[in-house]
Amino acid sequence: MIRELAWLDLYYLVLALRWTVVLTLLALAGGSVVGVLVAAGGAAQHVVPRLLAKTYVGLVQGIPLLAWLFIFYFGLSIIGYDLPPLVAATVGFSVYAGAFLGEIWRGALVAIPRTQWEAGTAIGLTYIEQLRHVIIPQAVRIAIPPTVGFLVQLIKNTSLAAVIGFVELTREGQMTTAATFQPFAVYLLVAALYFSLCYPLTRYSRILEGRRRAVR
Amino acid sequence: MSYNFQFRDVFAQKAAIFDGLVVTLELSAITIGLGFILGTLAAAVLVYGRPWARSSVRIYVEVIRNTPLIVQLFLIFFGLPSIGIRLDVMTASVLALTINLTAYTAEIVRAGFESVPKSQIEAGVSLGLTGPQIFRHVVLLPALRNVYPSLSSQFVLLMLATSIVSQISAADLFHAGSIIQSRTFRDFEVYTVISVLYLCLTLLMRGGFSLLYHLLFRRP
Amino acid sequence: MPFVELKSVVKRYGNNTVLRDVDLAVEKGEIVAIIGRSGSGKSTMLRCINGLEPVQSGQVIVDGVAVHDPKADLRALRARVGIVFQSFNLFPHLTVERNITLGPTIVKGIPASEAAVLAREALRKVGLEEKIHAYADELSGGQQQRVAIARSLAMSPNIMLFDEITSALDPELVGEVLLVLEAMARDGMTMLLVTHEMNFARRVADRVVFMNQGKVWEQGPAKEFFANPQTEELRAFLSAVLH
Repeated sequence: MIRELAWLDLYYLVLALRWTVVLTLLALAGGSVVGVLVAAGGAAQHVVPRLLAKTYVGLVQGIPLLAWLFIFYFGLSIIGYDLPPLVAATVGFSVYAGAFLGEIWRGALVAIPRTQWEAGTAIGLTYIEQLRHVIIPQAVRIAIPPTVGFLVQLIKNTSLAAVIGFVELTREGQMTTAATFQPFAVYLLVAALYFSLCYPLTRYSRILEGRRRAVR
Repeated sequence: MSYNFQFRDVFAQKAAIFDGLVVTLELSAITIGLGFILGTLAAAVLVYGRPWARSSVRIYVEVIRNTPLIVQLFLIFFGLPSIGIRLDVMTASVLALTINLTAYTAEIVRAGFESVPKSQIEAGVSLGLTGPQIFRHVVLLPALRNVYPSLSSQFVLLMLATSIVSQISAADLFHAGSIIQSRTFRDFEVYTVISVLYLCLTLLMRGGFSLLYHLLFRRP
Repeated sequence: MPFVELKSVVKRYGNNTVLRDVDLAVEKGEIVAIIGRSGSGKSTMLRCINGLEPVQSGQVIVDGVAVHDPKADLRALRARVGIVFQSFNLFPHLTVERNITLGPTIVKGIPASEAAVLAREALRKVGLEEKIHAYADELSGGQQQRVAIARSLAMSPNIMLFDEITSALDPELVGEVLLVLEAMARDGMTMLLVTHEMNFARRVADRVVFMNQGKVWEQGPAKEFFANPQTEELRAFLSAVLH
């Protein structure tokens, strides 16, 4: 019943890593949609969208990610959907990531000085044209390093999807441990696999930071 | 559907929730205290230490910051026994959380040290102060003041992250959720209530750190 | 024996030679003004004197101590050499009093009560006694610079170095700082000033040194120096600066 730790286990762990990546990308996509709304709301002129955005961010960031996952996992089944963990996880992560991305992107928008808007108006651009040609390109440049940094957080956060039963890398690790009774080796491998995904991104984010500073 | 049950499960299980809350607070307090001190020391090594010391701390920081907390926790609680180190749930929790927080604190405080302008250091040198004296009187306070927002955010994040120890059955607030869940079968309501409690903790902590800032760094 | 001596000092930053074979001697009690274009090496030369900058060759000897000798006790030397910077460099998290007593209490081991008296005395000399409990950001530029001077004075130095201390000040604040310097000169302090204030140099300095291309290009007694520049380069510099 207890089997030896084999190369096959490493293979399955690497396969599970794919699901980590899938979940991360789904969370990024969902989080981006939410994030754009939060950023736009938070940077708005009117006080109502700003307040809504701020409340959303404060609420999401004030509750543990695990709790959000459980709320969506149990909450969605109450509404009548018996959804697979992947869906609950995607919704939960999207809500969570949306708040953080929204804050990052709002910061980038707000960092563009008023004078840039004024320059756009002075050459006769409409609001949308200003956004498209002047503001957003600059905001994107500012936002990329911290967004890449957050991507690393997101990859690590997907490990919590294991708790609601989604089989990504951490869950696969738990199952492998149960089968081989080699927790030390297994979790070391799991950690190494996460590291191989996260560290290059961390380095890249630092390079981007450095480049952005050089441009200034 | 939920209205009656929410009140019922909260009032009936007050004790479990309270006990869990206390554990969460204890874990957070101990970890933040240790993590802050160790993290500041690690940051000092990162900026002022000898090359081999700097590399060692750098490797430690990168490994911790690029792997998930839950995996670190599992490694410590489930993995260490197989090489002879058997820890109880609370010790493993404090250990994993502290190791984790120290790495993040080190990065933040390191940036703080590096944010103190060179001219300040030169002024200290020109007065005849030694390195350690300059660190203590010229660098430390301004550095901490500069990174206070990042640092306090990180501590709040840690308090929320303590919920992860529920996965090794530590009796924290989040774990109280699963206890109540098994008694009342009202999953959604339970975790909603617990989430609200975490939210209160977050607000209290943020307020506390704000107050602390005014006490420490604002002048009359 | 000159109080400060630079002998054949050469200093490079990477491929850039900032000081080429600099020779300079300053006697005790002398007031020497150092002028020149930016990049001529004047600030660098000053910073070599208290060991803030290393040199590639040559000797810097201050009060009998070879500054760049690895065995030199720089800490003890720096307690005797005061320096004031262009950007004041006050410690923003400490009160004016603590800024001034930090050196005496920690480096010289003077007890706190005595140091407080020293601080008050130093502040009196720069005319800012009432600001003793203020913080740097509550003071104007000129006031901050005067506190910086007081901070150095409190260490009872044998020589004071001034690195363009009025260059970062609004014009109307320069006068109050120069008044303090004049008072110090009258008290007999040995002073080395890198400065752009030509009129001040002419009035107060004993000797003026013109740095150009990393060398001591010309020097002489103050009045003579400005009235009869000997070299072409100094003439050109003075006419550009004294328009």
